[in-house]
Amino acid sequence: MDRDVTVALEPAAEASPRPLALTPGEDLLGFVGAYLGRALLLVVTCTSVLVVFLILVFVVLRSVPFLGGYDLTKFLASQDWRPTADDPSFGALTLIVGSIYVSVAALVFAVPVGILAAVFLSEIVSWKVRNVVKPVVEILAAIPSVAYGFFAILVLAPWLQEHFGFTTGTNALNAALILAVMALPTIISVGEDSISALGRELREASYSLGATRLETVVKVVIPAAHSGLIAAVVLGMMRAIGETMVVWMASGNATQIPHPWWDLSQSIRTMTATIAGEMGEAPDIGGVSHRSALFAVGVILLLMTVVLNVISEYFLSRAKKAAGKT
Amino acid sequence: MNLRTRGALDRVFTVLAGLSVVLLTLVLIGVLGPMVYRGSGAVLFGGTVEFRKMQRDLFKRGGSEALDAEIAQTEEARREVYSLIDTFRKGIDIEAISDAARRINRDFGEELRFKGVATERYTELRQRSRDIRDQLEAAFASQDINEIRTDLESVLQSADDPAFKGTGAEGYFKLAKDFLNAAEQVDLSKHHEYKASLQEVEGILFGSTERPGLLGPRPGGPLPPLAMLHYGATRWDQARQLLHQFKYRQFWVEAEPNAPLVRREEPRAALFAGTSLEPLFGYIQANAEKMLHPRFTVYWQYFLDDNVDSHYFGGVGPEIIGTLLITVLGMAFVVPLGVIAAAYLVECTADNWVMRIIRMSINTLAGVPSIVFGLFGLAFFILFLFPRLGFEPKPCILGASMTLAVLTLPVMIRASEEAIRMVPQSFKEGSLALGASKFRTFVTVTFPAALPGILTGMILSLSRIAGETAPILFTGAVWIGPMAKSVFEPTRTLSRGSYGIAVEDRLAMMVPHNQYGMVVTLILLILVLNAMAIVLRSRVFKKLKGQ
Repeated sequence: MDRDVTVALEPAAEASPRPLALTPGEDLLGFVGAYLGRALLLVVTCTSVLVVFLILVFVVLRSVPFLGGYDLTKFLASQDWRPTADDPSFGALTLIVGSIYVSVAALVFAVPVGILAAVFLSEIVSWKVRNVVKPVVEILAAIPSVAYGFFAILVLAPWLQEHFGFTTGTNALNAALILAVMALPTIISVGEDSISALGRELREASYSLGATRLETVVKVVIPAAHSGLIAAVVLGMMRAIGETMVVWMASGNATQIPHPWWDLSQSIRTMTATIAGEMGEAPDIGGVSHRSALFAVGVILLLMTVVLNVISEYFLSRAKKAAGKT
Repeated sequence: MNLRTRGALDRVFTVLAGLSVVLLTLVLIGVLGPMVYRGSGAVLFGGTVEFRKMQRDLFKRGGSEALDAEIAQTEEARREVYSLIDTFRKGIDIEAISDAARRINRDFGEELRFKGVATERYTELRQRSRDIRDQLEAAFASQDINEIRTDLESVLQSADDPAFKGTGAEGYFKLAKDFLNAAEQVDLSKHHEYKASLQEVEGILFGSTERPGLLGPRPGGPLPPLAMLHYGATRWDQARQLLHQFKYRQFWVEAEPNAPLVRREEPRAALFAGTSLEPLFGYIQANAEKMLHPRFTVYWQYFLDDNVDSHYFGGVGPEIIGTLLITVLGMAFVVPLGVIAAAYLVECTADNWVMRIIRMSINTLAGVPSIVFGLFGLAFFILFLFPRLGFEPKPCILGASMTLAVLTLPVMIRASEEAIRMVPQSFKEGSLALGASKFRTFVTVTFPAALPGILTGMILSLSRIAGETAPILFTGAVWIGPMAKSVFEPTRTLSRGSYGIAVEDRLAMMVPHNQYGMVVTLILLILVLNAMAIVLRSRVFKKLKGQ
């Protein structure tokens, strides 16, 4: 027996010159190597943390001379943005209102369409149709923002001017329409994910009680998926508020708050467009300068998106929990 | 609510939801359609002989005997235009013909002195020459055809005088005859109008200081400084527009008080009715093709050529190269970082505070507005990091690609993470069961299996980098400038160019096909990348599902 086993093992031993058991040294090396490697990978992974940290630090650092030397209430509450005048004045209220105004207007267009489309894709059509429609959404998301801006200024603006009798085609309506198109893919994909994440039982229970599809969607599916849908809207808002090229090209860049407030045909100006348009001409000098003021506007923008991000994270995690339960 | 209302409402809802998707599709078509249609005009169009001349002169392409023959043919057809205009001008351009009369008088005097004519004879002839000149000038200035006839007839009486035969003074009689011919045909009271209209006509045909004309500058004349003005209509669509402008005079009228002005058109030929210029209008409409030789052209070199006179001629070659440079360099930064981070996030799934911070950072990074990345790139890479590394702190390709790498990091991480997660657990378990370490399992089993998925993520990041504009506005993209020689110089890119050509460029407004061509090139580049990603992803999906 003993002899037989040896015979049986010997060819295998010849085929693999390496002994199967590790020496203590190799074992230790593997152990240390694995930990060192892991630590190294962790460091690389932390790049994103580092980058977020650096973004905060550097954008804030550049705006410190302004925030320290200028009246903060005037910065946030004055409508007077005249950065290049002899007696410059940096009232950013118009810009902040402009950003929010155009984003909210975009959402008014995008949310109904986006949620309907999300419901359509997840509740109504078959998998095959869904696979045809999905690329449309993906292509809409892939078109670069400068191309949308190009479309806004050279195609949409003249069209609006001609057919609606606006004094200018580059106005809040134009920017809001394009931003709505850009926010739609985000709203649809996040919304659809959160609706499809719900279990079948909810719907089946509703249908078995005799509810129509409309009733199931409105009274069961949407309430159950509301966290995810809110997250979708918030993410769409983030996309709209952070968008630069489109609003720069389409909004007309007039430093004013629309009056009356519902008049979308007026030109407005946003924070992003102001930074993009004026940074190139703002000289790099210390103290309260045009450049540091623009960085301060960047800080406001950053704060707004971070807040929106926290809100969307909160609702997304709630949606995840809700989906886990059902 | 009764059953029927509920059913009806349900159906309305279904239709409404379906309409939302139809709307999406229509939006996509509405956005891409007009741009792609007009942009394709940059590559596919009817190229005229002027286009081929321009290609030969500016891009050293296609110069040959065939082209020379073609140019000769078109010049032949154009000669009639030149002669019609010259004839008409003789009756209209009073200053020019008065100048000519004065010059003849001066030259004639010198001729007489040169010949050594006797003093008395000289004085007499000079006096007669001066009289003729005065009579001519009086006739030119007059607006009464009878007065002109008498004046010119008395001038022409001297035509047979042997004293003037074979001398420069014969020019007088030619002038007189031409003017008499022209004056018989035109309404002399309108001659200022004629002159202004003639100038307009010549502007449309031969170009002005601002825009090129239909046929280009007349051969032999002085060439304007800008290269774009050296050629006529290079494209048949342009030529047709100019032909329309030539045929109809446009003007703006106030239709009613305080209303916006309305554009009206009237045939230009009516203005010249009965004059020697009238045949020109028919001639040009009938012979436009002979004068320009339009031919269907595929200008694929659009994607290679540099532009001339701020995008009036040429293509988007340097922009494409700049975009590719920034993209490739950006990918070199982001791919290793993204893949390693994704691998770590998947394989080391401890749910502790470190991981939570990392995930939060990635999500935050994904939400930061692109313009803030631009601010960060300027403040950190260019103004902070570059001087410390010994580089010049100015916008450059390196700064732009680093900024874009940071921007696209979340995209890369998320896509790779998804790809790695999709590798079936059994693959890893098989490898681990054979005694391979976790690291070895990842490198030899998980990573190769996830590679196509990671590739998809790479392509998506690539398309994101190629299309972003805001972050590179102040970190490395410029609108005009030479080709970059190293990564420490700024470059032109398709995205920055699309903004510039739509907003900042006055000359490009005249050539919409080039405006749209730029943006369509960008869109096509990105759509092709995305299509590749979509196809690759569905294939990977099928393969991993199948196993």
